[in-house]
Amino acid sequence: MGYLYFVAKRTVSYFAALIATISIVYIGTYPEIQKVIISSSNFLAGQYQQTLLRTSKGLTAAQIHTLVAGFKSNYLSAFGFNQPLPVKFGLQLYNLMTFHFGTSFFINAPNGSNQVSSVIAAYLPNTILLFTTGTVLLIVLGTIIGLFAAKSAGGILDKIVPFVAVIHSSLPTWWVGFLLIAGLAYGVSLFPTSGMMSIPPPGNPLSYVGSLLDHMTLPLVAFLIVNIGGFTYVIRSLVVSTIGEDFVITAKARGFSESRIIFRHVLRTASPAIATQSILAVTGSFAGGLTTEIVFNWPGVGLLTYESILANDVPIILGITFVLTVVLLVGLYIGDVVYGLLDPRIKSGG
Amino acid sequence: MDSIWKSTTRQFLRSKSGFAGLVMMIVILLFTVYSAAEVPQNIAFKWNNPQSWTGNPVGAAPVWVGVIGLHVSPSIPVSLKMWQESNVSAGAARFYEYNSNSSFSWSSSTTPQDVSFLPTFRGNAISATIAWTKPGAKAVDIQVSQVQSGNQYDANSPDFKNAISQYILAQTGQYSSGLTKSQVMSALFDQNGKGLLSGPVDTGDFTVEVQLLSTSPLNFTSNSSFNVIGTSYGPMGTDYYGRPIDLGILAGLPNALELGILTSVVAVVGGVIFGGLAGYFGGRKDGIMQWTTIVFLALPALNFLVVISYSSSLTLLEEGLLISFLSWPFYAIIARTVALSIKSQTYIEADRAMGIPAYRTFFSHFMPRLAPVSIAYTVLGIPAGILLVETLGFLGIQPPNLITWGTILDSAFFNEAALYGWWWWVLFPGLMIVIATIPFVLMGFALDKIIAPRVTNFD
Repeated sequence: MGYLYFVAKRTVSYFAALIATISIVYIGTYPEIQKVIISSSNFLAGQYQQTLLRTSKGLTAAQIHTLVAGFKSNYLSAFGFNQPLPVKFGLQLYNLMTFHFGTSFFINAPNGSNQVSSVIAAYLPNTILLFTTGTVLLIVLGTIIGLFAAKSAGGILDKIVPFVAVIHSSLPTWWVGFLLIAGLAYGVSLFPTSGMMSIPPPGNPLSYVGSLLDHMTLPLVAFLIVNIGGFTYVIRSLVVSTIGEDFVITAKARGFSESRIIFRHVLRTASPAIATQSILAVTGSFAGGLTTEIVFNWPGVGLLTYESILANDVPIILGITFVLTVVLLVGLYIGDVVYGLLDPRIKSGG
Repeated sequence: MDSIWKSTTRQFLRSKSGFAGLVMMIVILLFTVYSAAEVPQNIAFKWNNPQSWTGNPVGAAPVWVGVIGLHVSPSIPVSLKMWQESNVSAGAARFYEYNSNSSFSWSSSTTPQDVSFLPTFRGNAISATIAWTKPGAKAVDIQVSQVQSGNQYDANSPDFKNAISQYILAQTGQYSSGLTKSQVMSALFDQNGKGLLSGPVDTGDFTVEVQLLSTSPLNFTSNSSFNVIGTSYGPMGTDYYGRPIDLGILAGLPNALELGILTSVVAVVGGVIFGGLAGYFGGRKDGIMQWTTIVFLALPALNFLVVISYSSSLTLLEEGLLISFLSWPFYAIIARTVALSIKSQTYIEADRAMGIPAYRTFFSHFMPRLAPVSIAYTVLGIPAGILLVETLGFLGIQPPNLITWGTILDSAFFNEAALYGWWWWVLFPGLMIVIATIPFVLMGFALDKIIAPRVTNFD
């Protein structure tokens, strides 16, 4: 009961946060949004006019004109134009939150659609694939190395970890990617230089996955080089502070094996904090990893952002900003809920 | 409270990483001063105008790469001092002849990428003749007809190509039409003989004799030049447009630090006050303030800045303030945790029991303990600010007329520097980001290590 109440409270709080955050983005980009809606309405009205001209031969030019004008004003009123400002705000916010971003200027989805939401939907899975894989590797490797560093406190590993953590705060991932491409892809031709799949894509599913992994290696290496230090450092500090607690000393005194102490006592206690850190790492990588995709030409939302900056495709940039806001908040929400699941104090309603 | 600062400073200077960071930061600040004094104010205009870099070698490696075993040729500027040789009369016409004679020594086994003849004079000249002599023997006369003062004549110009193809015909017995620039350069620098275009580079003293012919007297206010443009230039090489990388790096240093420090100070001060107050208030107020923090934490900073920069062109100050606006929640979260741990201390309870007003408790107990934390996080926030600014520059989002390392790397990416092997274009600007941020990270870590346990375990 305690946990369900906690989850319900969090859900309400995060939903309110979602509305507030999207409102901030909305207010910050208000003039651009109005332009995008008007240009979308013009585009769709043009399309509608073409359809009318092609299919219904009986209509006069004046009739078509009236129909098109009606279509356009319908579209605009769906976005709250010619309405009082609060209504307009509410309608546009509703449309944004249901992913109705209008149409793009230039960039189309692979299936030919120019709806911003379908363009982003085509690119987003690739981002999720790359960075979720990266973060899972980061969490596994970081936890293992962090544990070893904490166990051998004062040892060589324990001394190296802070240094690598220093690097974490001063290396741009995209620059590391740049160097890796210059060295390992162009220099010694060990890896493909860019993209997600060899061209043409292999038909055999096994070699398809092989090609995908081959293309993923360098971005993942760049991601890990930059992020492993910071994550390991955090895990190490968490474990070190837990090892000093009384219950761990008690467990040692009771003669439990080392692995049992590490897994049952230390990791179990540190797990809520580790989970929070992991969720923050995943969501942070979605937002911060954008530039990595550009360097590796990985067809995710980061590359899409860059391409739309180059093409001045404002609707797409706006759409990505809103989608990323939602992704970040969902990530934070999951983090909070998982924290509650792992922390017995919250579960019991304490 | 005075003793906290004193002992913190002492401990900070004694810690290895803190001291190293401090020394590195002083060196970087000295370079910043040097940059402010040496780099001209309008450098960004010049930087973005490709015309202003003609005459520089293109995609040239740093000069010192010979040390690591790469073969490059140096750039040698040859200054031509013109003097009047004679007045020649041919029938009724009267000609003025001006000559110069310069030589340079060539020891590299690599052909340079270009030569550039730049005559400067006042008046009207008919033609210029460049007599090119190799260490071995007389080589070729290049006639430049209708020579204009201030024009650059390089290996690609038709006058050079015509003369060189005749020269190749004389040496190898084969006529080649449509010479490329590199063939012209090979012909100018290879040893005479059958293998002119494929043979080894001639080494020794090359001589350039230039003769200007005119019907009226010419005035010479400055020296003309005949520059050999090699494949190496300066300490960090040049990019695809001939811009020296070291100049760009120097020009990018002050604004990187300026933006880094500005964003960090504003974000940390704002975040610490907000988070500190949240932790201090507790209860319902804390809940609302924490929720506000999450609202701002969920803004995708990079995309948000990109979108904003579309609706209005940002100045340096505005960009810095916007970045702080997006990054304060991190510091608010940290400051709230610190404030909560201060709040659980007995002296706070004692204050409350004695009936001391809450605002006085806040100023006498919370602020003095939050201040050192703020300093540690301000120092740690500077690298984060610099990284974000350079990343934005890489995306092409930055105040106009500013050179950042991010934009240098963006143009390296755009011009496929990795593909062409121009590693210096990629390596140095990125390395500079690391060098400029590491001292702050080192100092921040050292400060954090000293301050964090003191604040949380204060008696």
